Amino acid sequence: MNEFITVFQKRQNMLLETTLEHLQISMISLIIAVILAVPLGLILTRYPKVAEPIIGVSAVMQTIPSLAVLAFLIPFFGIGTTPAIIALVLYGLLPILRNTYTGINEVNPALTEAATGMGMNSLKRLTKVELPIAMPVIMAGIRTSMVLIVGTTTIAALIGAGGLGEIILLGLDRGADINLILLGAIPAALLAILLDFILKILEKFSKKAGIKSFILTFLIAIFIIATPFIWNGNKQPDLVIGGKMGSEPELLINMYKLLIEEETDLTVSLEPNLGKTAFVFSALQEGSIDIFPEFTGTAIVTHMEDQAESNEAREVYEQARQGMKDEFDMEFLQPMAFNNTYAVATTKEMADQYDLREIGDLKRIENEITAGFTLEFNDRYDGYVGMQDVYNLEIADIKTMEPGIRQSALTNGEVDIIDAYATDSYMIELDLVTLDDPENLFPPYQGAPLMRTDTLETYPELEAILNQLSGKITDEEMRQMNYKVDYDDESPNEVARTYLENEGLLPN
Amino acid sequence: MIEFKNVTKLYEDGTEAVKEFSLEVRRGETLTLIGPSGCGKTTTMKMINRLIDPTSGAIYINGKNIKDYNIHELRWNIGYVLQQIALFPHLTIEENVSIVPEMKKWSKKETLTRSNELLEMVGLDPAIYKNRMPSELSGGQQQRIGVIRALAADPDIILMDEPFSALDPISRELLQNDIQKLQKEIKKTIVFVTHDIEEAIKLGDRICLMEEGRIIQLDEPKHLIMNPSNELVKNFIGNQKSPWQTTVGSISTYKKDLILSAENLNGANYRQQGSFVIVDKNNVFQGILMNGKVMKGQRIEHDMSLYDAAECLNGSDQALFPVLEEEKLVGILSYQNIVEHLRSTATKENGVIKT
Repeated sequence: MNEFITVFQKRQNMLLETTLEHLQISMISLIIAVILAVPLGLILTRYPKVAEPIIGVSAVMQTIPSLAVLAFLIPFFGIGTTPAIIALVLYGLLPILRNTYTGINEVNPALTEAATGMGMNSLKRLTKVELPIAMPVIMAGIRTSMVLIVGTTTIAALIGAGGLGEIILLGLDRGADINLILLGAIPAALLAILLDFILKILEKFSKKAGIKSFILTFLIAIFIIATPFIWNGNKQPDLVIGGKMGSEPELLINMYKLLIEEETDLTVSLEPNLGKTAFVFSALQEGSIDIFPEFTGTAIVTHMEDQAESNEAREVYEQARQGMKDEFDMEFLQPMAFNNTYAVATTKEMADQYDLREIGDLKRIENEITAGFTLEFNDRYDGYVGMQDVYNLEIADIKTMEPGIRQSALTNGEVDIIDAYATDSYMIELDLVTLDDPENLFPPYQGAPLMRTDTLETYPELEAILNQLSGKITDEEMRQMNYKVDYDDESPNEVARTYLENEGLLPN
Repeated sequence: MIEFKNVTKLYEDGTEAVKEFSLEVRRGETLTLIGPSGCGKTTTMKMINRLIDPTSGAIYINGKNIKDYNIHELRWNIGYVLQQIALFPHLTIEENVSIVPEMKKWSKKETLTRSNELLEMVGLDPAIYKNRMPSELSGGQQQRIGVIRALAADPDIILMDEPFSALDPISRELLQNDIQKLQKEIKKTIVFVTHDIEEAIKLGDRICLMEEGRIIQLDEPKHLIMNPSNELVKNFIGNQKSPWQTTVGSISTYKKDLILSAENLNGANYRQQGSFVIVDKNNVFQGILMNGKVMKGQRIEHDMSLYDAAECLNGSDQALFPVLEEEKLVGILSYQNIVEHLRSTATKENGVIKT
């Protein structure tokens, strides 16, 4: 508890900012969902034949995992708030649509007949009789949708839309830091409760004051929420640099920003902590980001869908650079020194107990151990697939999990080995042992700035600026910097600046 | 007032609900539409306010085809009372009553005055009831509101679709009485659908009995009962018919030995004992001979109900009564006839005597 309070105090500002973002994203999505679904539901009551298929379609949208929807939207809408809102709206449609349709249809037919018989036209009947009577059912739909949206908004952080998901993701990334996760999750829950309460009041109010004032209130709400949104549309930066989830990419993009802003007049904005490799890459293709640090190994295996032809860092980089140029028309600048390759890691006790030095040593205990691998690692040739092939391993029990929680699973004893990144800070903190890879299964993973060719053509000076980092930052330096951010909670910008100053790349 | 001309309604599923239907509803009358379920009575009624449109034929109100009226304005001028009452549950009593006046753009003041007046008319104190919600009222009270809601904008025509069938018998009777009383004051043209023959008889100036989309008989209640046009009508009203509703014509007997010809009376050979009916050679009633005295005597029309006849009989000391049709003697009614008739219509079941 005390720890939680400390975290809370330290992150008050972030909490306030992300809560506001969260509120804004959810409310805009909810309002758009209402604006779309209520009239659609009303229209459908007049065309019952098409109603079920259309409601069916909106039900299908609900079954698509939110991450998949986001991945699908990035090529069209890039990253940030827009695709997040689109995804959330799609999520929010079904309950509102279904409840509007059902609510209106369940109005006693005698009442509809009375209204018609008394000479009300269709609109009058709708506003005077059907809507007010169906209102509790419709509002129930809106409230369900609201809870869904507020909850799902946490994933918006994966594509740089902000919100409380940022705190939760940060917590997950920091080895499932329970306090950070709670700091994001509790306000999200409170937000849902608060909004539910507001909607309840609104519903009561609409009962008393009639449908017209309800619509008026709604419009005012839109106005209030949209206003800060319009403010935000201020000056566009010249360059947007994105980064994957985690401290390492965030440190690197801060270095890029510092260097570029030091030597040019360009303005740079950062989009750190973008969810998945695929998200960041399609954002780069789509143009909502201009540069991001990518690993040579990932470029080959994930983007080019190829195998590394060599295990020599230089050759791997060359293969990646050529491939990215040919296949995607992208420039891959010079890599830094550190090699954040995959490693198989285990606790020191475990290594001592079973005398584990190399990956091949696992063969002896393959029937007794449980592995905690990321989904990505489990599925790649330069991952577990290759381990099976090259080291002839068949591990009895494999649990796939998010990168951020592997280390706690390992320290809790739930798994015995994990896949790790060589430069991750918890290797220090948790005193983990990496197993040697004598067969060179894991190709080198060196970080280097990746950008579209047209970006480099527009700003040719970037090449020289960013290549200053070429060959810099060793594994150990990277680990130390990650440790400072993850465990000492230093700001990535400060850690990056200190490093650059010490290296003489920035004036003191 | 309302005229159906060769109206046919064919539903999509092929049911022919109303067939070649022609009818005129007179201004100010209450016409009850009655018949077994599925006879087309409700369809007929709903065609008047165009909730249902006829397949062929036309309906005229005040000589103008209802299709030529603006449909909403047409409906504003036709009050509509539903079987399900159908008060809007989210509106107060006053708001429910004010709906049509508001649509007709009456002023607030006018509307308010009107709804107070109507509430008083059906015996509900406006101060107590106007701000209540429908659910706070009893069924009978709710349908009173249903009726005054239909009356609110002072329409010329009121349609009532089995309005009291959902009520308990006591409320039903109270409301029927209310409607009777109300109709005496307001003189609206009312089309009243019911499946209850008693209600039809009680409220209808005329009854239109329908079966399979056609009119079987259209008549005033007493004629319908006394002269059912066929077996079906007889069956339909059968159980409803009290022995007291029988026409005296059908009870009376034509006993020759009780009839004296006027010519034979010339002279003084009157019979000094007993009662006789005197007719002329054309069988036209002349008077009564009672215990040797000729008198004018109390006479009874042949189509009078036994009930009404008994009223006449009550104040008279005659032993027998001439039953006349256009002044001609068609029968003689005595107390014996009446007793026999009543006895013949009564049954005894499990010791309970029923008429």
